Amino acid sequence: MLFENMTMAVHAIKANKMRSLLTMLGIIIGIGSVIAIVSIGDTMRFMISDIYKDVGTTLAYVYIWPSDGSDMRQSDYFSVDDVDRIREVYKDEITYIDSSSQQNVEAVFGRNKVKFALEGIGSNYPNVHKINIIYGRNLNEGDIKGRKNHVVLEAEGAKELFGTENAVGKSFRTTIYGDTDDYDVVGVYRKEENPFLAMVGGSGENKEGYLPESILVWPNDTIYNIRLYAKEGTDMSSFSERFSQYIAKSKNRKREDVTFYSVSSEMGSVDQIMGGLSAAVGGIAAISLLVGGIGIMNIMLVSVTERTREIGIRKALGAKTWDVMVQFLTESAILSAMGGIIGVITGAGLVFLGGTLLGMTVVIKPMVIIIAVGFSALVGVFFGIYPASKAAGKDPIEALRYE
Amino acid sequence: MWKKKEVIPDYITQNVSEDLIKLVDMVKIYDTGSIKVLGLKRVNLTIKRGEFVAIMGQSGSGKSTLMNILGCLDRPTMGHYFLDGIDTADLPSDDLSAIRNRKIGFVFQSFNLISRTSALKNVELPMTYAHISKKAREKRALELLERVGLGTRYEHMPNELSGGQRQRVAIARALANEPPLILADEPTGNLDSASSVEIMELFSKLHNEGATVVLVTHEEDIAAFTNRIIRFRDGNLVSDTPNIPISKREKEELEEPEEPEEPEYQSGDALC
Repeated sequence: MLFENMTMAVHAIKANKMRSLLTMLGIIIGIGSVIAIVSIGDTMRFMISDIYKDVGTTLAYVYIWPSDGSDMRQSDYFSVDDVDRIREVYKDEITYIDSSSQQNVEAVFGRNKVKFALEGIGSNYPNVHKINIIYGRNLNEGDIKGRKNHVVLEAEGAKELFGTENAVGKSFRTTIYGDTDDYDVVGVYRKEENPFLAMVGGSGENKEGYLPESILVWPNDTIYNIRLYAKEGTDMSSFSERFSQYIAKSKNRKREDVTFYSVSSEMGSVDQIMGGLSAAVGGIAAISLLVGGIGIMNIMLVSVTERTREIGIRKALGAKTWDVMVQFLTESAILSAMGGIIGVITGAGLVFLGGTLLGMTVVIKPMVIIIAVGFSALVGVFFGIYPASKAAGKDPIEALRYE
Repeated sequence: MWKKKEVIPDYITQNVSEDLIKLVDMVKIYDTGSIKVLGLKRVNLTIKRGEFVAIMGQSGSGKSTLMNILGCLDRPTMGHYFLDGIDTADLPSDDLSAIRNRKIGFVFQSFNLISRTSALKNVELPMTYAHISKKAREKRALELLERVGLGTRYEHMPNELSGGQRQRVAIARALANEPPLILADEPTGNLDSASSVEIMELFSKLHNEGATVVLVTHEEDIAAFTNRIIRFRDGNLVSDTPNIPISKREKEELEEPEEPEEPEYQSGDALC
């Protein structure tokens, strides 16, 4: 019987193609925009978590920032000894810590000049941050401890400077802190281009590279900002609290003066933005589905009036109230679900098109599609109740007399 | 998921009475709010199984009212209507639907086929509401269309058929659930005379095969095909007389050589 009702409904919808399509429009727009925005959101989330996966989710930057707006004291800065002490005290919880140092330099090789942003790293940095070496090797403990003029360059920069990606064994001249010296390339790595970062302009003009932290930071230097990676799986919020208190105590500051900026807190704010966006989109969708549903109710009322005689015939031949009710409910549910399906195709199609144009991997969850189509069918049932009960309640004699 | 369990009271499915139709002091009053109109006045009438009856009268005579009550589309205001032994006076509308579905085959003046729906599907409709399986429905619908002479036209839509053919589809549909009663309301009212004869011959055939046929008409020519003619005027039953059906009369006339007159209808030509 359900199958018969469905064929009958499809039949009736086909009989008035244009009218049915126009009726579905509200549902199409509603479901289409929901699918589009939800998929964009999911795509963003996927990309952001992808970026953080590269960076590492336990990364944090810690520095003193007086909460009352007063000037910083000399003691607010960290020394190399401080960093060593923290490394010792938290050796069970922190897998990597450094002074977060970086220098922008101009590398010279023959006539070629290329600007590099060189990051100072410790020896086990490659353990916490993936560096995709294609030629040579990473910086090792010997390079760091021996304060050697060894660098690892990004392949694109190496090619620009030396004319070849395989620049291992070559050296360039540059000036750091006023000292001009030669630096040897021991490794070349491939930077994985993140399309989302590229889109928002995350990577600057400078080529990137790594050199031993010990070249940039001397024993008497002051460090504003320490960078650390907590152990994998650490609960960052409780660790952040304990660590901040430790720093505050050692620097004779209040807890509020210590800033602990971590990737997971950043991710939380991204989710918050996405949540807000989803709520806004949900509101728009709800309104357009309401309007679409009313459109369906309207057209079903027209259809019931037009088919009064048919209803009369069906009742005379033995259709019960419930049979007529179900027939019209099925019709409005299918009408609405078809709108939902077209909406899904439109919305997903637009997102795919945009994704293809921007070269991004688009995430469209099957669950979202199922929910969207199911929900649109429910909208059809809900707004079909009134017209269907009107149809079911018709008096067969009156209905048969209807012209 | 929306299927509701079909519960049909036993009294609807069982044949219990030799008197297929029995009206006892049946009164129908239409209450239009300000005035009450008397539709039928104390009608007493019995129609037995296997009869072929014409109900006649001018418009306003109450024959349509009677038709609606006999068809269980309406309930008597007072008195009783027993259809196959079932008192329909106080039944809820869903039970009346079930009775119409199992006990009555309707044939209407304006055919009342569902448009944009094939002849086959139209014939299947009452069986659909009787929850008969798709396969069995199709088989029976094809047989019925064959029986009314439309075996090859089962896929045609109503608007692709002539009036006479449409009415034959309607008759096939009326026979779908093998109801004890065929109720025809002016079945030839929208047909030319040749098609009218075809349809009336078909009713005669059904009657000869054992069906009970009650038809409402205002045409004497049509009533002449039946065995019994009941006349109504102003809501009163005014006469109830047996009739020798026209086909029998034709035969008798043919046996008498001194009557050279043409029979009233060229029935032989019309049925081709």
